[in-house]
Amino acid sequence: MGLMSNRLRTSLALRVLLSTIVLSSAVIWLSGSILNSRVAAGVKQVNLDSAVNEARSTIVGARYRLILAKSGSPKKIDELIGEIVSSATTIGARASGRELVLLRGPLVNPVEKDFTTTSNLVDPKSLPDEFREKVRSTSELNWSYITIKYAGSLQVPAIAVGDMVSIPRSGKYEMYLLFPLTNQNKTLNLISRSIILVDVALIFLIGLITWLVARQVVRPVREAARVAEQFTSGDLNQRMQVTRKDEIATLGVSFNEMAASIQQQIMRLENLSRVQQRFVSDVSHELRTPLTTLRMASEVIHSSRSSFDPQIARSAELLIGNIDRFERLLEDLLEVSRFDAEVAVLEPVDFNLISLINGCIDDLELVAKENGTQIIFNPYSENLSINADARRVERILRNLLNNAIDHADSKPINVQVEYNDNDVAVAVRDHGIGIDESSLLRIFDRFWRADPSRSRIRGGTGLGLSIALEDARLHEGELEVWGRPNQGAHFVLTLPRVAGNHIESRLIRLEPKDLKI
Amino acid sequence: MTLVLVVDDDQDLAEMLGIVLNGAGIDVDLVGRGDEALEAFRNNPPDLVLLDVMLPGLDGIEVCKQIRAESMVPIVMLSAKGDTHDVVRGLEAGADDYMVKPFRHQTELVARIRTRLRKTNTDITGLLKISDLSIDFNAHEVSRAGKVITLTRLEFDLLVALAREPGRVFSRDALLGEVWGYRHSTDTRLVNVHVQRLRAKIEQDPEHPEIVLTVRGVGYKAGNQSK
Repeated sequence: MGLMSNRLRTSLALRVLLSTIVLSSAVIWLSGSILNSRVAAGVKQVNLDSAVNEARSTIVGARYRLILAKSGSPKKIDELIGEIVSSATTIGARASGRELVLLRGPLVNPVEKDFTTTSNLVDPKSLPDEFREKVRSTSELNWSYITIKYAGSLQVPAIAVGDMVSIPRSGKYEMYLLFPLTNQNKTLNLISRSIILVDVALIFLIGLITWLVARQVVRPVREAARVAEQFTSGDLNQRMQVTRKDEIATLGVSFNEMAASIQQQIMRLENLSRVQQRFVSDVSHELRTPLTTLRMASEVIHSSRSSFDPQIARSAELLIGNIDRFERLLEDLLEVSRFDAEVAVLEPVDFNLISLINGCIDDLELVAKENGTQIIFNPYSENLSINADARRVERILRNLLNNAIDHADSKPINVQVEYNDNDVAVAVRDHGIGIDESSLLRIFDRFWRADPSRSRIRGGTGLGLSIALEDARLHEGELEVWGRPNQGAHFVLTLPRVAGNHIESRLIRLEPKDLKI
Repeated sequence: MTLVLVVDDDQDLAEMLGIVLNGAGIDVDLVGRGDEALEAFRNNPPDLVLLDVMLPGLDGIEVCKQIRAESMVPIVMLSAKGDTHDVVRGLEAGADDYMVKPFRHQTELVARIRTRLRKTNTDITGLLKISDLSIDFNAHEVSRAGKVITLTRLEFDLLVALAREPGRVFSRDALLGEVWGYRHSTDTRLVNVHVQRLRAKIEQDPEHPEIVLTVRGVGYKAGNQSK
């Protein structure tokens, strides 16, 4: 049942077929039953008319002959009645031929001979009392539908037509002629059976036609749906085939026009972004050569700063410091353009993550000290081999540590490592100024500052965290952040232990354990 | 006095390189075009070549191949592209080392050049045999069954570094420090590419090396020492 309703929901053709069958069945059933009842009524009327006419002539004839036999002996009369009965009925033709019933009415001299008779042993009780009463009380022909009861148990529906006749020297008798409806009912059954047969055949044919028509309409629709689906999934060259000139073809033409326009737009945008990325990359590259010269020149100047006067010496320091900054920015921009152009590739090697982390911490120890903080890292073991792009992992860690140092607010920074067979997680937790909720959403945005009024500390490029996130994602890993104002921040990096796998778990809960509620 | 041939089309940078190297007591020959580099090299053979990748006339990679074809002189590529593809291409063309612009420190440039120029392992003399190779420190030669195998100085240094302590596993970082003179590990691809090149020259079957062995996840070691 569920399958059926599911099919109904998904198949337009089936739905059309089903509703057509239901509706046409109702119409056909209605028209069939009207036809049936009209035909039946007609047949019944014809039978009734002929029964009444036949009965009238028989009864009138019998009356006439009985009047003529007025002077005859009872035996003669008896013979006459036998004659009347045999001429009006078919002897032995039970249930199909006419029957005649002659019943003595009331007010008859009981001593006289009783001429009551029935043909073929029809039970006189077949005639209901009300009908007999009506025949006796009126002076005209009366009819009624009755059931003939024969001796034995045979019963046959029939039309009974009756009137009064007088039998000489005996009195008034009711004479009934019974016309069995067996043949009529057979005819009516045949007719209704035929109508039903025709109805069923009609419904079947209508269903068949509907199915064919629906399929004809649905097939191109289905084809259109398939093309649209493939188009959506990225195959922009998909087009509908238009061979005719009907509504479906119009749909096809419109679809193709839309597809062409979308494809053009997408290609234009792709081209635009390719040009833009190319430009960024070219600019970064082109800047490198003059920057190299600048750097060397500034280093030459810087190396002899002791012979300058203090202002020039300080200028030399500022010069070299800002060339450093410029260079880092250029490096980050180039990296970002690689991510944007989707040309960043992973170069996985096996390395010891713990020693990599220790290396980063050693390098940043001095900076941390200058900022009044320290980095605390107590790994369970000194060896944790992972397969990843060491340069990128190191860059992520450096970015996280640098960020933590900048925001540590002179409180210590904790580094934590957890791992299982598949994943490895590194968390960097600071207890400094923290991050508010709206900033959390934007912290990985390029060039975004939590607090615009704060100056950029230690010449960060503003791209560090967004590059870190891209690096993590390139590993099929994840970099997540938790933070609350004045409760510090918690960055959790989760990576697969072998490059190319996916992470299956979060080994370190994002909400830090040391949180005071 | 030591002579370095600088091939770079950026005049300012070339001049600056000249100033820095002169300051370190190194003579400099400047060439601005790729197609003039080989001629300058032949006319005045330098002790080392600093070669830019992007050059007018002839691509730096091609220049590198030409020079390598006739000399084992140390070649350091200068590249504005840090991308793997270009770096590996340069190394495969025969460069010993490369520096990505902008160079980290002026001192690093000079240090790297000095490392490339220094005479190798003066503390060891005589012959060292490893597998069926014999390394002659005096003649600075490697030979198999009397046939001399030509190695660049860097390849020689790399082989010696490993062969001096056979069986000891050297991490790539350690080799970078020992052979290339890097103080910070930067790019271990440098090691990989040179090991491949060294194997291609000294191994009977470079696909199944017997002299320079890979230790998975750690680095390399020299195998099968025989005195």
